[in-house]
Amino acid sequence: MSEAPETKAPQVEEPTRDDGAAIIVHSDEELTEKLAQMREAQKKFATYTQEQVDKIFKAAALAANKERIPLAQLAYEETGYGVVEDKVIKNHFAAEFVYNKYRDTKTCGVIEEDKAYGMTKIAEPLGVVAAVIPTTNPTSTAIFKTLLCLKTRNAIMISPHPRAKKCTTEAARIVLEAAVEAGAPAGIVGWIEKPSLVATNTLMSEADIILATGGPGMVNAAYSSGTPALGVGPGNNPAIIDDSADVVNSVNSIMQSKTFDNGMICATEQNVIVLDGVYDAVKAEFQKRGAFFLQGDDIDKVGNTVIVNGAVNAKMVGQPATKIAAAAGVEVPAWTKVLIGETESVEPSNPWAHEKLTTILGMYRASDFDDALAKASRLIADGGYGHTSSLFIDTRETEKLQKHAHAMKTCRILINTPAAQGGIGDIYNFQLTPSLTLGCGSWGGNSFSGNVDVHQLLNIKSVAERRENMLWFRTPEKVYFKKGCMPVALRELKEVYGCKRAFIVTDSFLYKSGFTKKIEEPLDKMGIAHSSFWSISPDPKLQDAQKGEELLRAFEPDVIIAIGGGSAMDAGKIMWTMYEHPEEKFDDMAVDFMDIRKRVYRFKKMGEKAKFVAIPTSSGTGSEVTPFAIITDAETGIKWPITDYELMPTMSIVDTDNMMTQPKGLTSASGIDVLTHAMEAYVSIMASDYTDAIALKAAKLVFDYLPTAYSEPTNVEARDHMANASCLAGMAFANAFLGVNHSMAHKLGAYHHIPHGWANAVILTRVARYNAAERPTRMGTFSQYQYPQAKKRYAEMGRFCGFTGKDDDEVFENFMQGIEDLKEYIGVKKTIADYGVDEKYFLDTLDEMSLNAFNDQCTGANPRYPLVAEIKSLYLDAYYGRPATSYEDKGLTIRDSE
Amino acid sequence: MELPKDKKVIKTRHNKVVYDCGDTVAKVFNATKPHADVFNEALNLARADQAGIDVPELVEVSKVDGSWALVTKKVAGKTMRELADEDPSKLDGIMKDFVKLQLDVHKHRNDLLNRQKDKYTRMINSVTEVLDESTRYDLLMRLDGMPNHQKICHGDFVPSNVIVREDGTACICDWAHASQGDGSADCAVSYLHFKLNGQDDFAETYLKTYCELQGTTVEYVSQWFPIVAAAELARGRVVEKDFLLSWISVGDYE
Repeated sequence: MSEAPETKAPQVEEPTRDDGAAIIVHSDEELTEKLAQMREAQKKFATYTQEQVDKIFKAAALAANKERIPLAQLAYEETGYGVVEDKVIKNHFAAEFVYNKYRDTKTCGVIEEDKAYGMTKIAEPLGVVAAVIPTTNPTSTAIFKTLLCLKTRNAIMISPHPRAKKCTTEAARIVLEAAVEAGAPAGIVGWIEKPSLVATNTLMSEADIILATGGPGMVNAAYSSGTPALGVGPGNNPAIIDDSADVVNSVNSIMQSKTFDNGMICATEQNVIVLDGVYDAVKAEFQKRGAFFLQGDDIDKVGNTVIVNGAVNAKMVGQPATKIAAAAGVEVPAWTKVLIGETESVEPSNPWAHEKLTTILGMYRASDFDDALAKASRLIADGGYGHTSSLFIDTRETEKLQKHAHAMKTCRILINTPAAQGGIGDIYNFQLTPSLTLGCGSWGGNSFSGNVDVHQLLNIKSVAERRENMLWFRTPEKVYFKKGCMPVALRELKEVYGCKRAFIVTDSFLYKSGFTKKIEEPLDKMGIAHSSFWSISPDPKLQDAQKGEELLRAFEPDVIIAIGGGSAMDAGKIMWTMYEHPEEKFDDMAVDFMDIRKRVYRFKKMGEKAKFVAIPTSSGTGSEVTPFAIITDAETGIKWPITDYELMPTMSIVDTDNMMTQPKGLTSASGIDVLTHAMEAYVSIMASDYTDAIALKAAKLVFDYLPTAYSEPTNVEARDHMANASCLAGMAFANAFLGVNHSMAHKLGAYHHIPHGWANAVILTRVARYNAAERPTRMGTFSQYQYPQAKKRYAEMGRFCGFTGKDDDEVFENFMQGIEDLKEYIGVKKTIADYGVDEKYFLDTLDEMSLNAFNDQCTGANPRYPLVAEIKSLYLDAYYGRPATSYEDKGLTIRDSE
Repeated sequence: MELPKDKKVIKTRHNKVVYDCGDTVAKVFNATKPHADVFNEALNLARADQAGIDVPELVEVSKVDGSWALVTKKVAGKTMRELADEDPSKLDGIMKDFVKLQLDVHKHRNDLLNRQKDKYTRMINSVTEVLDESTRYDLLMRLDGMPNHQKICHGDFVPSNVIVREDGTACICDWAHASQGDGSADCAVSYLHFKLNGQDDFAETYLKTYCELQGTTVEYVSQWFPIVAAAELARGRVVEKDFLLSWISVGDYE
């Protein structure tokens, strides 16, 4: 959290007391001008510090508190509604509880600061609040709303109800004068002297927010004004008394609530639904505590007196029960506090089913809990959507509690609580916000479902500083390398891991060439049982893996050893996954991600059943240290690229002895693949110092040793360094990922069967030139990647590999030429066409291939975010071997792609 | 103009006499009727006609013995009220036809007609003697919160204003109170009319039928009751004042 904001305290003018500090609107015509004056006052108020505001808030709350009794008397005298003593409680609540709730709440300037995450939250006032105040709770609502506005540095213009004008404005005056005395600007509170629809509507449309408390008409008007509004609406609280409830507590809670201010709080119970089992006991307790049960026709008489055409008779609102009985022509004892009508229909045609806002209560008998829920739901639909419902129950009845909470479409659900006092919060539950404005959510046509508090009167600015993502460097726990290291490393299977059963995965060529024997012999010596599976094709097929998995399940190994090129290692990883988690689906695992940390699918923990050892026999793929595996479904032709660090081998063994028999073509293709890995990882938007270091070294090793490895296949030194280069480049792209070169090469392989390394090589310098543009159409999106910098990065790599020049441009050109020379030396063809790709077929599939390349998982880390049309033109240029051109944005590419 | 000697009085109201003049019907208002009201009724009639509603053809607006008169072509047939009085057993069918006709009127549009909310606002503001400031404030607030619709509302849709011809087609007369707005307000007016006439059962059947055929609820229509009752007061209904006040004095509370 931050220090107090450093806003300088403004000079506070002496309040002008003679004319009063309030802005009073005497006529509809004056309103706009008076609002302008109020805005001036608010502007000044907006500069106040938290300390100044808290002083004002306290003074205002104290003043309202002191005047709670005269204000209650005034409200009763003016409106004729309710009970003075109860209004005292409401005023007291509005002043004291609201103050207490927010005394330490930060509402000015910086209210939260998190330096590590770069997040600062700043609270600002909204401006002028239009407050519509009802007749039922005039003084308490006025105190509540003015205090909230003072705490939040807002100005408040009150539109009182004509029937409660005097007491409402008096409450506002008391709060304002105390506030001004404590330093608030004069004119921060005002009211409309002669309330009219025109004035109210003008106020609502000109204010910055509306706090509308009133009936549906008022709330509709507020919402249609075009100004943001917090409106509340009517309630029709059905209180269920379950047969597990404490009858005495239930009945007396309802009596306490129902009689409070003669039933005028909108959360008050309007009907009670009593379970059959306790009905008689409930009835007896009601009678004991001053409720009178109406008999026969009297039920209709009272119902029709209080409810006229489905609405509350204004003369009956907030009246004592005896007065209502007299008005209905029904004789009741003088001690009667509440009139109860036992009734059956929950339909709105029954007057008792409505909100009554006075001291009468409908009572229903429910055959069981479900019946009670059905009745309560219907009563809520009769005009109480979103407001409040009540349940009296033994709280050990958790199933019923859940059922009730689920069924009620109300935003407050009160348990074993008098609803009038409970709904306004902080009296019977200390987490429910104390408030006299209760939101009813979308069910009640409101924008808000909680109890309105200071937060609805603040604009919170989130100041979000740029932060960079945490990055990582992940690699297998053990990477063993050097010529002849394999038998040594394999010893760990027994000595460290205690493995007993090994399953060897390879391809048929290596199997037949005896590669597996070199593993089987040491395993035999160590007494580790083993089995082999060798039907892996160059593009590993899901069907192969499935076959292998059956064997795996039968053999139950505790280590899987994959030996071979990328295909064998990828197939091994897939079979490992299937063996560990047969329930997982490939289409879930293969879902593309924008950020591997945020993707929807969570990979399951691997290594529970078996360790995984990867042993490469070619210098290219790097799969022995990457979290990637690709498998093709032979039936559908779909390729599943699976990525997760759970796929990292437990151990990698890079033994040059395994590399010595690579044919020339493989040395060429896999060697240039290594360079592509290093280059793409180096210019990736996710590149880091860690990946940079190894990518540079890998690239340099390729330039230094690939030509020799190609021309002298038996040269151990060259083979050794190329094996390391491959593994290093694998580590680089395992963490920094690849780019659009690989996206495009993947599709050249899929559509035109060009070997992967050569597919990379045939477009390599063209894509580098495309990435190196200083004015790319679109840049890759990643917090760390600040500006287009690929050219500088390529030049860095070029210099490291020994290329020179007077500036980045020249080094870049020389680097590209060096790559072209290397390609030529190792026999890479110049164009896609040279690989025997049929022109017509190429052109026919080009659009689809371009789109699929765009959609490849590798595209996301590319420094330049490619457009599909750009990929297409790169393909075309590479097909025909067109001379290299600038790939700077020419302003046409976006249009072309649309 | 002069009315024919053999004219017959169809009905007499406190501010007008309606004559059957053979081919035409003449509504002769008394001298205190503002001429603007007479022309407004003629204009409403013309606009209903323009909107495609079956109404009597307007012949002329002119003076008869110093009073303004509105003359329309006579429509041969019986009013729905007459039909109902003649054969009460047909009441159910007539009620359905009556509501269907009203809903049909509501399907028509004419955006030049007076707006219902403006009309009711004027009327509520005019009853300063009977309704106090806060009651008027509540009524205006309620009215303001009602939705805005553009349906043509007749404003006095009662069975005596619907003439059924021999071929079964119906013609709707007396467009003095027409406006464009919410059909449910129009329904509330008709319902109030039946209640004021002491036809309680008929009123309930009507309201139920209207709500069923329109697909609305009694609760929604009844939100208009205080407003149409206040408008009725504005028309100078004094006899039923207490009844109307009981409809008006209801809360729209939090």
